[in-house]
Amino acid sequence: MTELNALSDEAFRAEVRRFVESEYPAELRNPQHRLHWDQGRAWFEKVKAKGWVAPGWPREYGGMGLSASKQIILIEEYERHGVARLPDHGVIMLGPLLIRFGTEAQRQRFLPRILAGEDIWCQGYSEPGAGSDLASLRTEAVLDGDHYVVNGQKIWTTLATDANWIFCLVRTDKTVKKQEGISFLLIGMNSPGVTVRPIINLALHDEFCEVFFDNVRVPRENLVGEPNKGWSMAKALLGFERIFLGSPRQSGYALARLKMLAERMGVIDEPEFQDRYTRLRLDLEDHKALYETFVAVLRRGESLGPDVSMLKLHQAELFQRITELMLEVAGENAGLLEPMGGNRDLHPSGQFIEARPTTIYGGSSEIQRGILAKNVLELPG
Amino acid sequence: MSAALEQGAEERAESIRMIRDSAAGIAARGGDRKRIRALRFQAPGFDPAVLRQMGEQGWIGLRVPEEKGGAGLGMSEFCAVAEELGAALAPEPLVATALSAALLSAAGAERPLAGLLSGEKLVLTAWQEGPATLEAPGSADAPRLFIPVAGGADAFLVPVRQDRGLALRFQRREGADLTLDKTQDGGFYGTLRPLGGEVLAADVAEALDNALDEAALGTAAYLLGVMDQAFVLTLEYLRTRQQFGKPIGSFQALQHRAADLKIQIALSRASIDSAAALLDRAGAPRAARRAAVSRAKARASEAAMLVTKQAIQLHGGIGYTDEADIGLYLRKAMVLANQFGTAALHRRRFAAEAREDEV
Repeated sequence: MTELNALSDEAFRAEVRRFVESEYPAELRNPQHRLHWDQGRAWFEKVKAKGWVAPGWPREYGGMGLSASKQIILIEEYERHGVARLPDHGVIMLGPLLIRFGTEAQRQRFLPRILAGEDIWCQGYSEPGAGSDLASLRTEAVLDGDHYVVNGQKIWTTLATDANWIFCLVRTDKTVKKQEGISFLLIGMNSPGVTVRPIINLALHDEFCEVFFDNVRVPRENLVGEPNKGWSMAKALLGFERIFLGSPRQSGYALARLKMLAERMGVIDEPEFQDRYTRLRLDLEDHKALYETFVAVLRRGESLGPDVSMLKLHQAELFQRITELMLEVAGENAGLLEPMGGNRDLHPSGQFIEARPTTIYGGSSEIQRGILAKNVLELPG
Repeated sequence: MSAALEQGAEERAESIRMIRDSAAGIAARGGDRKRIRALRFQAPGFDPAVLRQMGEQGWIGLRVPEEKGGAGLGMSEFCAVAEELGAALAPEPLVATALSAALLSAAGAERPLAGLLSGEKLVLTAWQEGPATLEAPGSADAPRLFIPVAGGADAFLVPVRQDRGLALRFQRREGADLTLDKTQDGGFYGTLRPLGGEVLAADVAEALDNALDEAALGTAAYLLGVMDQAFVLTLEYLRTRQQFGKPIGSFQALQHRAADLKIQIALSRASIDSAAALLDRAGAPRAARRAAVSRAKARASEAAMLVTKQAIQLHGGIGYTDEADIGLYLRKAMVLANQFGTAALHRRRFAAEAREDEV
């Protein structure tokens, strides 16, 4: 592999662009739903052959060892081309966590299998009774000899049907403050007692699942970090996720579709539409500018503060407002289940429904506003 | 003027209450959502037996004069039934059948009218040639779009412009060039290519104009039922769902949002009730009637979308699952908000028709 960090930003950007334009399957550009592993497998193999599976991991563990600014360029180019997210919880969440908090034995055991595409990971955090109030989670792991015995239920587990491993937050101490009795445990999905049930969502797609644990025996060495420190470990990784959720890509893509729809419906030149459309365009441009200020923080190698909640909050609501105008413009077509005339780009009801959960997942808008009020504005209460 | 409309205010209110009760008997508010799920996305998308019950109750001909076999009741009664069916998410067509009944009644077409009023035959009006309109140009060949519940149609009424006016043609389902598209609420929009057919009347322009207004107001009332019931389910969830050791309805941010939704529902109800009362008043000028209908539909369309969207948000993750019933209300609102006129169309029409001193 060439020393990518030594390239200028422009040269690196050109290299990424060449790669996605020549290798990324055209039919997978901007898919409407999260891709299942078998759908994205061919693309994964190309990324793997190039050695680009884990941009952020250090070279010694098989990553690209990219600087923060180069990682951002990579993401920007992927997004610009409409490259889909693969089931990537191993690369994005678990890898960095093991590198920071795991034992060397755990790194040697799990990291190469993530890079090879042999292990597909999913994330077991939320529970039916623990959504916004995640720390109240109740899935329990009780030590029994050399094993933890796990009982409980996780929900909103993205693509659990594709995964052979799950990393979970589990309760290991019920006698202390709720955040202080949580551990981070790695569980094989093929272990006896694990059951997965897909959930059909409002888009009639099955990307979320429930995962049930019934007396599942998990070797003690699968606990990451110290017992009862799982909450702070998981929280340490959340900031990076929030900047992804604040990316202007979703809204930019939706705005382009809104324009196509308005042209098709013959309202593009109406002053009322132009005013509302331009308002959304300005919101998007200003959002991009705000996003850049947070990206600049990462480029400097600094970590993000709680104010990154603004990004996720604003992007999610902007995405929703764009798709709401789509419904208004579409007339009766707003009620159609399928894309208009079979054109995937003209699917107002699908885009509208797709935008609904963005204010719910990854910390709901209510939670984000609470974070802004308490941790940024330092209001009392 | 029929006997029903000449009753005193108290008697009238009592008879509307009775109509609501009988509606709830067939389609209980928030009742049988398993039934709704079983019917959706499969033609015809509704239960013909329930449509027959609606016919037996006299709802399809609720607005048709008694001497023509209808019940001769007013728009207040019609909106009450529509609201109850909306709260039950009933997929059986009230508004679409009433629209056809008005045209068949105006055309004096006794036989097809009798079949329609009994709920035995589904006759649908194929008037629309473009999206977001309340005008029927009556082209000879243009495909007729967005025909609701078309999967169950036995026949179509097609308005066609001829020398003397907007003629009404009767076209059977057999042999018709009809395509169906699924809608988000589990129903079907039909697209029909007109193929001629028997002329039932030489000019139904005025009848269609009035019937489309009543359809718009009836749809507003159906949306009122949808949003009202979605709000009931959401309040239940706010009272019972626990996070951070208390019901989420105890958080002030959510309380304020619920209060705002309540205001929109109350505005919708007031707007619909006053429009229905105006339409029931003898001699109300056409412009005032149109303005009142548009005011009500503009409000109901926007409020129903707002309430059902927020209902999903307030339910959190579970609201985004297909198995949670709250999503059924959002899907219904997505289909009906733009049917018989979008909010924008009705705002424009209101601005054109309303006199400042009436506003």
